[in-house]
Amino acid sequence: MKASYNWLKDFVDINVSPKELAHLLTMAGFEVEAVEAIDDDAVFDIGITPNRPDCLSIRGIAREISAILGTHFKDISVNIDKEQGKGPDVVIENPELCHRYSARTVSGVKPGPSPEWLSRRLESCGIRSTNNIVDVTNYLLLEIGQPMHAFDLDRLEGGKIIVREAGECDSFKTLDNEERKLSKDVLLIWDANKPVAVAGVMGGQNTEVSSGTVNILLESAYFNPSSVRKTSRLLNLSSESSYRFERGVDLQAVSIALDRAAQMISELAGGRISGITDVYPRPYQQRIISVSLDRVSSVIGIDIDESFFVKTLLNIGFYIKGDGKVRAVTPPSYRNDVEREIDIIEEIARLYGYDKIPATLPVMQMSPAPEHKTQALVKTLKDSMVSSGFSEVINFSFMNPDSLDKLNLPPGDSRRNFIHIRNPLRKEDSTMRTTLVPALFNNVSMNLNRGEKMLAFFEISNVFISTGQKLPEETIQMAAVYHKGPVSSLWQAKHDGFYDLKGALENIFATLNISNVSFIKDTSVAPYLHPGKSGNILINNEKVGHIGILHPVVSESFDIKGDVAVTEIYDVASILKAVPLKTTYVSLPKYPYIERDVALIVNDEITVSSVKQVILSIQSDIIEAVNLFDIYKGKPIPKDKKSLAFSIRYRSASKTLTDNEVDELHSEIIRKLQINLHAELRS
Amino acid sequence: MLNDLHSIKEAVREEAEKASSLQDIQDLRVRYLGKKGLLTSRLKDLGSIPKEQRPAFGSLLNETKKHIEGLLEKQEGLFKSSELNRSLQTQQIDITVPGCFTPWGHLHPITRVLDEIVGIFISLGFTVEEGPEVELDFYNFEALNFPKDHPARDMQDTFFVSDDVVLRTHTSSVQVRTMEKNTPPLRVIAPGKVYRCDADVTHIPMFHQLEGFMVDKNIRMSDLKGVLQLFILRVFGSRTSVRFRPSFFPFTEPSAEIDISCVICKGTGCNVCKGTGWLEILGAGMINPRVYEMAGYDPDRYTGFAFGMGIERVAMLKYGIDDIRLFPDNDNRFLKQF
Repeated sequence: MKASYNWLKDFVDINVSPKELAHLLTMAGFEVEAVEAIDDDAVFDIGITPNRPDCLSIRGIAREISAILGTHFKDISVNIDKEQGKGPDVVIENPELCHRYSARTVSGVKPGPSPEWLSRRLESCGIRSTNNIVDVTNYLLLEIGQPMHAFDLDRLEGGKIIVREAGECDSFKTLDNEERKLSKDVLLIWDANKPVAVAGVMGGQNTEVSSGTVNILLESAYFNPSSVRKTSRLLNLSSESSYRFERGVDLQAVSIALDRAAQMISELAGGRISGITDVYPRPYQQRIISVSLDRVSSVIGIDIDESFFVKTLLNIGFYIKGDGKVRAVTPPSYRNDVEREIDIIEEIARLYGYDKIPATLPVMQMSPAPEHKTQALVKTLKDSMVSSGFSEVINFSFMNPDSLDKLNLPPGDSRRNFIHIRNPLRKEDSTMRTTLVPALFNNVSMNLNRGEKMLAFFEISNVFISTGQKLPEETIQMAAVYHKGPVSSLWQAKHDGFYDLKGALENIFATLNISNVSFIKDTSVAPYLHPGKSGNILINNEKVGHIGILHPVVSESFDIKGDVAVTEIYDVASILKAVPLKTTYVSLPKYPYIERDVALIVNDEITVSSVKQVILSIQSDIIEAVNLFDIYKGKPIPKDKKSLAFSIRYRSASKTLTDNEVDELHSEIIRKLQINLHAELRS
Repeated sequence: MLNDLHSIKEAVREEAEKASSLQDIQDLRVRYLGKKGLLTSRLKDLGSIPKEQRPAFGSLLNETKKHIEGLLEKQEGLFKSSELNRSLQTQQIDITVPGCFTPWGHLHPITRVLDEIVGIFISLGFTVEEGPEVELDFYNFEALNFPKDHPARDMQDTFFVSDDVVLRTHTSSVQVRTMEKNTPPLRVIAPGKVYRCDADVTHIPMFHQLEGFMVDKNIRMSDLKGVLQLFILRVFGSRTSVRFRPSFFPFTEPSAEIDISCVICKGTGCNVCKGTGWLEILGAGMINPRVYEMAGYDPDRYTGFAFGMGIERVAMLKYGIDDIRLFPDNDNRFLKQF
């Protein structure tokens, strides 16, 4: 709401500068966003909160200023010089939607330009001047906050007004020359035969005041706020009028505004004013609110004295009855927002000044806080990934449904059970994501395009799967990607990026003391992964996620050159289940270990874990650990073979081992590897 | 005989002092203490000494030997350490070659700020609660006193999933969910993602908020001021000025907006604060009795306060980030700075 300093001074004595006034208004709950100097005036741009429609007017703001400054408020008084004849016929068919409709006609007007003072006031408050009749209705809208409308009386058939829903009438042309589609329950203003305005929103072209207009009918009414709001949303049309009606205008000021408008028009454009028609089927009901002064003090945390309480409320137009600690307070008709004791408490706090309320700390009773293991786990996961060199990304929860086609997900895949957004900003953002990976691939692609290398990202966020219930299933997932790049610097380890990513996961499991983790190859783990370089992640033999290199075709569709390693943990909570409940100390070994190395030449398809399995299948309680320390391919190893080198650590819990004992077992292991895996010893 | 031993001692001392290398010392050792050394030969003479004098002479001989050994060792030590020093001088590395390590990754700045804020409230005895991001209209609006078809709903551009399901527009949706499950006293914070149907230079459609609320008997508005003031000074530094001014939220009454003195210009007025010297940082208020009624609490028995803040905004002010769109962009060069 824009408010002119000079206009405000019509209503209240202001003894401070515009800048000071702006500060005082802000501190009383009317945030002044800007003060603009125009000629000899200053215009305040004030943010009016939805609970204060009364301050969508100069008069309302002036009333507040008078309470803030403690200066005199000069209300308007209207005297219609002379009325001629009776008022126009008005019928309200829907009193629930139109609580009051008052009207007068003015006959013999001469439409023309408004005087300069009037057009300047309108323009300073952001409304363009048109002619002296329309300008007066807008002037009253700004001054009193009462939207008004002037019809060309000669174009109103039967010279009468009927307030009625649209019913069968399904379209209507508004003032702005737009044909509006209506629904049955839209409230319209009709003449004897046709609709002439959308109630509370905009007038019709068919009865618009023009330069040739001679007789007018002035409307001042109260329309049901939620009905106006529904209509305004349906028509996608918000006007200065609808904005005020949907917040609630002052039921008692309807006829005051009408009288002032009629009087102003007759002064500026001439004409004779008719008597008033005031149809008022739902009269204003006064509210009486019982307020305890003790409660006021205890909620705010200050001692409110009685005289401050009374003076403050009287200043903003409230009525107070009774004495003692409990008072009966009646808010004025323009304060629809004040319904309960707490609303009065707010008025007192606001005008007392929030800055004068002391800052105290509450006295609290200690109570045990519930444990939130998932949050703690998420924090551990994040810290662990960061320590492995991965940076956290946070992507939008929206997803382009087409990205699942890029991932080759089959039609029945559960990740296609979308939650659709009815009003997305873009079609690409029309569903909630069911997987984190497309966004991560886009992160990689975008960063590559910007020249970044060695990209290691992870995200821990919710995914949303529709289950047919009202609300979707929200699951916290983790996903990570690693793009090592086609050329990594020489000092970087030469292994595949897959193993960097796997290492990060192993780091997590080690941090959490989860031991029973296995990585099992599965060519069908996910249709977007490289079939030869992917597999499942199992904890206690339960599948919790997968890891692999992105399928080259999918990489290309995301505009990524080079291998991307990717992993997904489907449900972070599943990891929580595997975290051991307690950690038990195992006593330190008493006897020394003996280590023996073995280097094998095996066929390419022999996996490290199959070698380990063979070794560990030997019945012996002195094999403590088997560790891979080298993989080698190339000369002099035959082409389809590789060399795997392990270090085996032997230790007995009950004695110091002798070389002979270890040599014997070690030879047995080698024999078994030779037989079972056709391994050759590398010399 | 005694003089003889004494002169040997003296001779060794003089020669050891004159020695110029470790080898000289080793030669001395051979000459005096070796199998055919001067002192060793005296030992062999022991047989020729009268029996009764033998023990005294023997111990004297031993003493002399120890003395000489000590002398030589000391001298040897000096040579060894100077030789080690010389050899270390030849082993130079280039300490300007970059270090070898796996660089740590970086937490997203939003996570960093959230962690800090959550930590402050946990230290004050608050606990963390969560709620769904796809939320019932009831918890996001109705229960917070935003009736359907009420203009207050215009304050938040809403993404709709259906007539009664929305993407939560604020973390305040956690309030009534938490109240339904628990009884006062409550001290709760609820961090998380929220959604608004708005995207331009200063708005992104998904961002983060932290909601906090406290419900008990006798919680006063002054307590709200105290707790939030304490929080703000922790996050933005003890020299920050804090200003509370009246505002409106349907679910609080009285409502307040909290400003801090501009972190850029320290309150003198600049572009960031639009010349006002103040930056809006929090919305807050005393929980509206209607919310208690929705949650099934007795509004006459309990009072409490609630507050909410945008995490992106706090992060922008803390780190001097001038474009909110950098947060969802996830540019590595941006992420690496935190």
